[in-house]
Amino acid sequence: MSETTTNPKAASRRREPAARGGRPRRRKLTFDRVSFFIAFLGVPLAVFVTFVLYPFAQAIFWAMTDWAGYSQDYNFVGLENFTELFQDEIFLKALRNVALLAAVVPFVTLSLALGVAVAITLGGPSKGPVRGIGAASFYRIISFFPYVVPAIIVGLIWAQMFDPNAGLLNGILTKLGLDFEEFSWLGKKSTAMPSVMFVFIWGLVGFYAVLFIAAIKGVPAELYEAARIDGAGRFRMTLSVTLPTIRDTVQTAYIYLGIAALDAFVFVQALLPQGGPDNSTLTISQDLYITAFTKGKFGYATAMGVVLAVVTLVFAALVFAVNRLTGGGEEKKQKAPARGALPAGAEGGAQ
Amino acid sequence: MTIRSGALDRRTLLRGAIATAAMASMAAACGSPSSDDGNGGPKGEKSSKNPFGVAKNSKVEAAIFNGGYKTDYVDYVNKVIGSQVKGVKVDVKPVVDIGPELQPRFVGGNPPDLIDNSGEDQIGFLKILDQLEELDDVFEANNYEGKKIADTVYPGVKEPGTYNGKFVGLNYVMTVYGVWYSKTLFDENGWTAPKTWDEALDLGRKAKKKDKYLWVHGKEAATYYLTLLMNSAIKEGGDEVRISLEKLEKDSWSQKPIQDVLKIMETMVKEKMFVPGGSGTQFQKAQAHWSNAQKALLYPTGGWIENEMIRATKKNFQMTGIPEMVLSDSPKMPYESVRAAAGEPFIVPKKGKNAAGGKEVLRAMLSEQTAKNFSKTRKAPTIVKGTVPSDGYGSTALVSQTKMLEAAGKNIFNYLFITAYGMNPDLLVPWNSFLSGDLDAKGLTSAMQKISDKIREDDSVKKLEVK
Repeated sequence: MSETTTNPKAASRRREPAARGGRPRRRKLTFDRVSFFIAFLGVPLAVFVTFVLYPFAQAIFWAMTDWAGYSQDYNFVGLENFTELFQDEIFLKALRNVALLAAVVPFVTLSLALGVAVAITLGGPSKGPVRGIGAASFYRIISFFPYVVPAIIVGLIWAQMFDPNAGLLNGILTKLGLDFEEFSWLGKKSTAMPSVMFVFIWGLVGFYAVLFIAAIKGVPAELYEAARIDGAGRFRMTLSVTLPTIRDTVQTAYIYLGIAALDAFVFVQALLPQGGPDNSTLTISQDLYITAFTKGKFGYATAMGVVLAVVTLVFAALVFAVNRLTGGGEEKKQKAPARGALPAGAEGGAQ
Repeated sequence: MTIRSGALDRRTLLRGAIATAAMASMAAACGSPSSDDGNGGPKGEKSSKNPFGVAKNSKVEAAIFNGGYKTDYVDYVNKVIGSQVKGVKVDVKPVVDIGPELQPRFVGGNPPDLIDNSGEDQIGFLKILDQLEELDDVFEANNYEGKKIADTVYPGVKEPGTYNGKFVGLNYVMTVYGVWYSKTLFDENGWTAPKTWDEALDLGRKAKKKDKYLWVHGKEAATYYLTLLMNSAIKEGGDEVRISLEKLEKDSWSQKPIQDVLKIMETMVKEKMFVPGGSGTQFQKAQAHWSNAQKALLYPTGGWIENEMIRATKKNFQMTGIPEMVLSDSPKMPYESVRAAAGEPFIVPKKGKNAAGGKEVLRAMLSEQTAKNFSKTRKAPTIVKGTVPSDGYGSTALVSQTKMLEAAGKNIFNYLFITAYGMNPDLLVPWNSFLSGDLDAKGLTSAMQKISDKIREDDSVKKLEVK
């Protein structure tokens, strides 16, 4: 992270010659350096400003207008859209729904993914080198399968599976002797949201499992061997060795997945395009879409987008805060040797 | 109401693809508009064969909704248009999400020359009213056979495309709403199609004995039952019921005829006369329970249903439409009254490069040859009279639509408010709950009233003039 360069303490630990005099000396602006900055800093920055920051600023502006979307006429209305939003029952419901999604989906997905990853990399016999369960690569491929299918297809396929009268799910459950005939998974308030979450999680577990497998493979095998000598079981090793060493990966995955859950557009649109029973699965992105394109209230819809952006930032901040409070984060990492700095031989210990 | 397309899955798919775009709907605003009023492009000389002055050899860009009717019926225009103005070509671009896809072009001031503004994501007319050409001169012009177009079409077809006094949407397809059933199935069981709600209730109980249901609904189309409710109530209570609804009046959903019909519907829900699980079933699958599996007896919908379900209809189904049920022996409008409206609104934006060309394409579509081609290949009548032969090209649904229109005579009504304000997505929610039994008639009424109230009280929404 960029903090390392601004933190003088951190800078002093750098092994570069620039650090000799305490402070890095200012260098001359040679052609080499200038062209380097332009190519590697200027261009990406320009792209970022033009296509990310500028539209973002624009969005905040449009959120304060009553623009209807199909002409160039609009009035500036200040914060009216926002005050209206927080009295808008449907929007508040959507807000609650995405909060629920963001609370459940990342946690469950990552727990399952971690379970799969641990089983594949470390779950093997407790004698000999640390290794995964038999046929690990087979399971790895299987678990990754759903991710290969585009999310929209996953949604549409599951929409068919959930069909009350002709769906595979009810067919199987009924065959098993359970009374699920004509049970409307997506049509009942109590089951619609869990069904959406299930599909969401089903589609993403594989990807995060593979991500964690890669991270776990970067953990030196000596750590596990030492833990094993100390008598740690597989579960203890997961909690005390694996999780702390890959916590940065978990944090990144958590934030990324949280953003996906806050959006969730593709899955809900495929499963319940109209917001679900009693709007129980309506997401902000769906509400935004309908408000903009069906109701023609683009200013108001943009305000929803701005709120969603703020919610996303809050979510990311929460994850950072929790990670830091539980002892992780940048500060601690600087004391321990960075993983990347380990000699190459130490990597890939776990098979 | 929307003409539902036969390709929802693809539409949903495309929707997913633009998910990101929707998220950054702000980005749509990015294309900072250039504000030139450049209308026209090259003009040709006006003549009887070229009433709008289209330039020879010019191209017309047409964005056509790719739904149940597909788009090649507009391509067909290329076969005839050259006979009037030399070298004019229509370039048809099939579009599914009309609103999202064309919105930036409206803002940018370079819309297509002709748009079929239909489908679930149609652009609300009140939003673009000032940017559209008025189409009165199309009806004043002669068709390709030399007859004045206004004399060749059904009466009242201008109305559904007239917003606040301006005729801007030329609705091409005649749509009749009603209740649909299989004549074969009814004959086999000795049932008669119900004319009153009591008869319907009775039929529902008979159906139960045969392990069948009276109705079926799908999650995206639950509001077809709202259409049924409104049409019934309007027939029962007369035009004032409609006007109150369209004006979004306070307590407009509590009007007696509406409540009376709703009460019977509630009984039907309670007696489980709807195929269970509808609120969790994709609507075309649900419709197949009626047209193919014949689990349900009746389905309230519009004339597009035959075309929509053509590949999921039982052999020898004999799809037949009848007007909606009434409550009493003496409704204010006769039982034969139907809600019929020209649908598939074509619009010509003022700022199109070849607006005259857009109108010329409409003139070509209203010619006898093109209109006949449409009703023959799409099994739906156009607004042009006399293009459906008595055998309906072998389609019982087409024949019954024509019959319903004839029987209704002047008793034809229509309403615009739901489409005009884009209320359907909001209304679907309580209707799904109601039809699955989670919400009673009272709850449904207050939910619908809330939706109406909210629009009425929202000053930023332009209001519809109701006649």
